[in-house]
Amino acid sequence: MDYLYDGTFEGLMTCIFYHYKKEKASGIFEYSRYQQSIINSFEIVDTDYEKAKIVCDAINNKISREAYINVYYCYLSSNENKENTILDFLIFAFRYGKNTMNFFSHEKVLPINQIYLKVGAETHRFLGILRFSDVNGILYSKFAPDNDILILIVEHFADRYKYEKFIIHDEKRKKVVVYANERWEIKELKDSINIEYSQDEKMFRDLWKQYFTDLAIKERTNIDLQFQFVPARYRKNMVEFI
Amino acid sequence: MNDIIFEKLKILSDAAKYDVSCVSSGVERKNKNTGGIGNASAAGICHAWSSDGRCISLLKILLTNDCIYDCHYCLNRVTNPVKRASFTPEEVAELTIQFYRRNYIEGLFLSSAVEKNPDYTMENIYKVLELLRYKYNFWGYVHVKVIPGADPALVKKTGALADRMSVNIELPTRESLKILAPQKKIESIIQPMSVINSEMTRTIEDKKVFKNTPRFVPGGQSTQMIIGATPDSDKTILNLSQNLYDRFNMKRVFFSAYIPVISGPNLPSVNTVPPLVREHRLYQADWLMRYYYFKSEELFTEIDFNLDLEFDPKMMYALRNIDRFPIEINKASYEELLRIPGLGVKSAQRIIRERKNAELSYDSLIKMKTVLKRAKHFITVKGKYYGNTKFEPDSIKNEIRFKEAQKQFSIFEFM
Repeated sequence: MDYLYDGTFEGLMTCIFYHYKKEKASGIFEYSRYQQSIINSFEIVDTDYEKAKIVCDAINNKISREAYINVYYCYLSSNENKENTILDFLIFAFRYGKNTMNFFSHEKVLPINQIYLKVGAETHRFLGILRFSDVNGILYSKFAPDNDILILIVEHFADRYKYEKFIIHDEKRKKVVVYANERWEIKELKDSINIEYSQDEKMFRDLWKQYFTDLAIKERTNIDLQFQFVPARYRKNMVEFI
Repeated sequence: MNDIIFEKLKILSDAAKYDVSCVSSGVERKNKNTGGIGNASAAGICHAWSSDGRCISLLKILLTNDCIYDCHYCLNRVTNPVKRASFTPEEVAELTIQFYRRNYIEGLFLSSAVEKNPDYTMENIYKVLELLRYKYNFWGYVHVKVIPGADPALVKKTGALADRMSVNIELPTRESLKILAPQKKIESIIQPMSVINSEMTRTIEDKKVFKNTPRFVPGGQSTQMIIGATPDSDKTILNLSQNLYDRFNMKRVFFSAYIPVISGPNLPSVNTVPPLVREHRLYQADWLMRYYYFKSEELFTEIDFNLDLEFDPKMMYALRNIDRFPIEINKASYEELLRIPGLGVKSAQRIIRERKNAELSYDSLIKMKTVLKRAKHFITVKGKYYGNTKFEPDSIKNEIRFKEAQKQFSIFEFM
């Protein structure tokens, strides 16, 4: 049976629940991206928060917190086969229990762990390379990450800019996180935002650009290394490269 | 703020860029509930990478480049006719906050030339910190330079507000210092180091008794020296840094390849190429001493006091002590694993963790993404040796050279 879910984490976890309690899954797919095959029958799964919670608790308690985080990060990744990587991993992990994450090189653990590391690396990278601009006192930032990491970066900025108001805009997934008064919320945003920079904002952008250029030591120029750290696809939202 | 600020930033960041340290790690601090801005992350965060491939994490500037000293290697020496500029403490604080709000930087790294006298300059550095911490409620990372010769009371006061402090030792020996920085005395450099160290130790002791002891430079202290401006050997340099780690609890000792920005009778010629490979090897050796349980004497022979430029120091150690290899991956202790060339801390930890489950095979090492390019010549896995050459130093060297050349060749072919 192919289970189809609505794209939410809880939906995915509900599918895992049915795999154990109803009928074994031959695969899990996102509903909107599913291509029917003649061999497998399919079922559209309604997201059930209680069933999802049972699965999440089981992952945390019977396997480990580390395993849960791996699963969650994998869910946020842009990997095309992520649902089945998670399914394969969990089938193996529920059998091996608390020791599972020590099997780095096992064929069921290695893939999920590698996706986890990738998502983690992108998250950490964006803590540094995200750029805000001051728009009438509100800090606005847009980015287009490979993975759906908006929810992973927000806490960091919520603490750092605790008494500011900010918006982080994921252009690729058309959603924003809005933060104000020590609370944040993720919302859908279909349109792009047009921003007029104030005089002050322009000045600080120019100061930063000048500083960025001057700081490089000519005798040590190493453009390849720079590209390794900041790949071209990230640069279009970074002040110093515009 | 106006056009003058662009000019000041130009002059004062240009003068600060040769300082290598740009680390923002080692301090974990949440935003305080005081309406302020900023926190610090123990892992450190890089914000940008300049075209030399170096990470930019902190706003690295001088407070002033107006100097009373005449150190030969320095662009800002009093006798060198460069444009002079000074920031006011208010300007530095404002710039830091505005850059920080836009997530350009992780904090501030403030250094300075010695203007008027050491106390005057140190007092100004303190003022910047005071403004940032109390007026702007800024709790991001701040690293400040200590001016040798400043009043210890000032150093203590500043340290209570900074995350990291550093005093540059500049050159590895007393003789070198005498030649290139005649006005700087080694004593005036060492003294603030020991003030910072004893103050840090005292805070740690106090903390055991009083829970609310204010922190003192929680990120520790560091120092830096110039490599290649004087004929000092690598052994001298590493012995000194070992000494600094032991005596003053240094967090880091930085090396900076000498870049000829100025000419002088006691300096290498202006056409000297900066010794970047040597700098790299010194960092590798430094790493071996701090994280790989190496002693500095293990890295040198009785006749050669400099590190090999072609191969990394761990590889050279292994080749000199080939009788201790190959090491069996499934039996070796953590310390032994760390001695294998090309194998890092992460890989060693993974090996230890994974082999608890089952004996490791060569294949599982590859799957774990262990880099085996060099390591394979020095290990056995389940008793089998996987190097594709004779197990003796010269053959291994040639094989690795050959592989490097092949790699380069295939790149050219591709082009």
